[in-house]
Amino acid sequence: MENDGKRRAFLKVLGLGSVTLGGAGYTLMADATQEPSKAKPHYGMIFDQNKCVGCTDCEVACKKVNAVPAGQARLFVENKTDPATPMEKKYVRVSCQQCEDAPCVKVCPSKACHRDSKTGIVTMNPDDCIACKYCIVACPYDVRFINHKTKAAENCNFCLNTNLAKGKEPGCVEACKYKALVFGDLNDENSYINQILHVKDSVRMKPTYGTKPSLRYIPVVKVGV
Amino acid sequence: MNGAINFTHGFSHGVEWGWPIAVYLLLAGISGGALIVALMVRYYKKQHEDTPLLKAASLVSFATIAFGMVFLVGDLEKPLYFWKILINYNFTSVMSIGVLAISIYIPLTLVMCLYMFEKEISIVLAKKNTLVSYFAMIMSILTRFRPLIEVLSVVFAVIICAYTGFLISVLVRFPILNTAILPALFVVSGLSAGTASASMVASWLFKEDTHSSDLKTLHTIEWPVMAIEIMLIAMLFVSLLVGNEFQKTTTVAFQSGVYANLFWFGVMGLGFGIPLVLNFALGKKIASSHIAFYLSGMASVVGVLCLRMFIIYAGQTFGI
Ligand code: SF4
Ligand code: SF4
Ligand code: SF4
Repeated sequence: MENDGKRRAFLKVLGLGSVTLGGAGYTLMADATQEPSKAKPHYGMIFDQNKCVGCTDCEVACKKVNAVPAGQARLFVENKTDPATPMEKKYVRVSCQQCEDAPCVKVCPSKACHRDSKTGIVTMNPDDCIACKYCIVACPYDVRFINHKTKAAENCNFCLNTNLAKGKEPGCVEACKYKALVFGDLNDENSYINQILHVKDSVRMKPTYGTKPSLRYIPVVKVGV
Repeated sequence: MNGAINFTHGFSHGVEWGWPIAVYLLLAGISGGALIVALMVRYYKKQHEDTPLLKAASLVSFATIAFGMVFLVGDLEKPLYFWKILINYNFTSVMSIGVLAISIYIPLTLVMCLYMFEKEISIVLAKKNTLVSYFAMIMSILTRFRPLIEVLSVVFAVIICAYTGFLISVLVRFPILNTAILPALFVVSGLSAGTASASMVASWLFKEDTHSSDLKTLHTIEWPVMAIEIMLIAMLFVSLLVGNEFQKTTTVAFQSGVYANLFWFGVMGLGFGIPLVLNFALGKKIASSHIAFYLSGMASVVGVLCLRMFIIYAGQTFGI
């Protein structure tokens, strides 16, 4: 217990540190797309469980930005609060992990699910999708669905053809008041996302699948976990 | 630290691939299995005439795969876009590979049917003289390739049976599906359903005596095939039982609930139990009756359907 408290204090200091650090090194991903001379970008995202309060502003923004039909979602914030400790709220982001080695891309028979050639983002060409649902059952994270309107499979594509195309940050990142989400180019040494990853421990979801997700999670750490 | 954070909420709604896929997997298995056993019997017995068994098997294999395609395409949310697979071919996708194999296999089974029913087709076409002569011309060319077509048919029949197993064994989220045993199990259960279907059609449509030498041969290989099938199912179960934490939790599928009933009553009881009882437990007289012949054949086919249903439904229900 004593240990627990110390650890938390330590993490708090780290958290504050990264905020100041981040302010200085903040770069928008739009730069990378405008300069073809740079190495190919590898976009990633961080979900910081320490900061997320479960307000679901990101969910709402994503639906609006990407015109996701009612009752469906590309993004879901799951409440993972332990019933034994109801005061310690815990939330987790459920969305496409943007795998580097993506099973959905591998199994799609019509190449509708593909990796965007410029950005490397896993995305969809709804016109080519025959809605066989192979990608949905093949995705180890179960984060794909058939859009009722387009009748095509869909996943979070970092707002590739919506916000990103306009040079803006993804809708969910923009909407997060608590800065629990950070988006950026993992191949850019100076990007804010890399600065955070340098100072904080992060994990990938279900790494044993070997899909190399580009989404990183900063968990709330308690001794004994 | 990896267990520190996780999510359990998914976007799919339970079983995404439902019964049409299970039926397709059954039909593809019957199609491949029937052709494999009939041609194997032909090679083994060095037959030159077209036996009722081969006729039945050719007809069964063409009809079931064609019918299976209806289920496969019908299960797509956008069935009219099916052709996109052929244009945007993806070599890393088992489905693409399967579609390619099917587009070779269906014509092969069709040609096998043409060989078998050349006379009948000629009679039907006889009213139109030009058509008959075209048909005769095509057949004279096709006949030259018959040995090759037969070998290719066996090869592709095996590929069809096996690919349906690979199709779902690549789904890493589902421990019951994600095993190397599945393709083998699909080939073997395809063989048993194919054997049963081809023998029934041979006797029913082509008046083959149920005690003819061909059907007797099939009857004798039926039991070893069934034994291998049971062994593979046992291997699947044991591999889950001794596996990691997630694999272990899936063994419930065999132990309680709807799926366990489907497995024990459908796969084991109907598929294996009924044929065994009919053939060995009730005496020689019943074992050699017509009723027993058809009943045990149907039971085998329904048992294999139950196996496919069990694998598809239980497999997708117990995800990680
Ligand atoms: S998380 Fe699923 S949908 Fe996203 S890239 Fe990986 S396999 Fe594809
Ligand atoms: S549902 Fe669409 S995107 Fe998914 S594998 Fe099938 S064709 Fe590809
Ligand atoms: S990046 Fe865009 S598509 Fe993905 S969850 Fe955020 S808002 Fe939705």
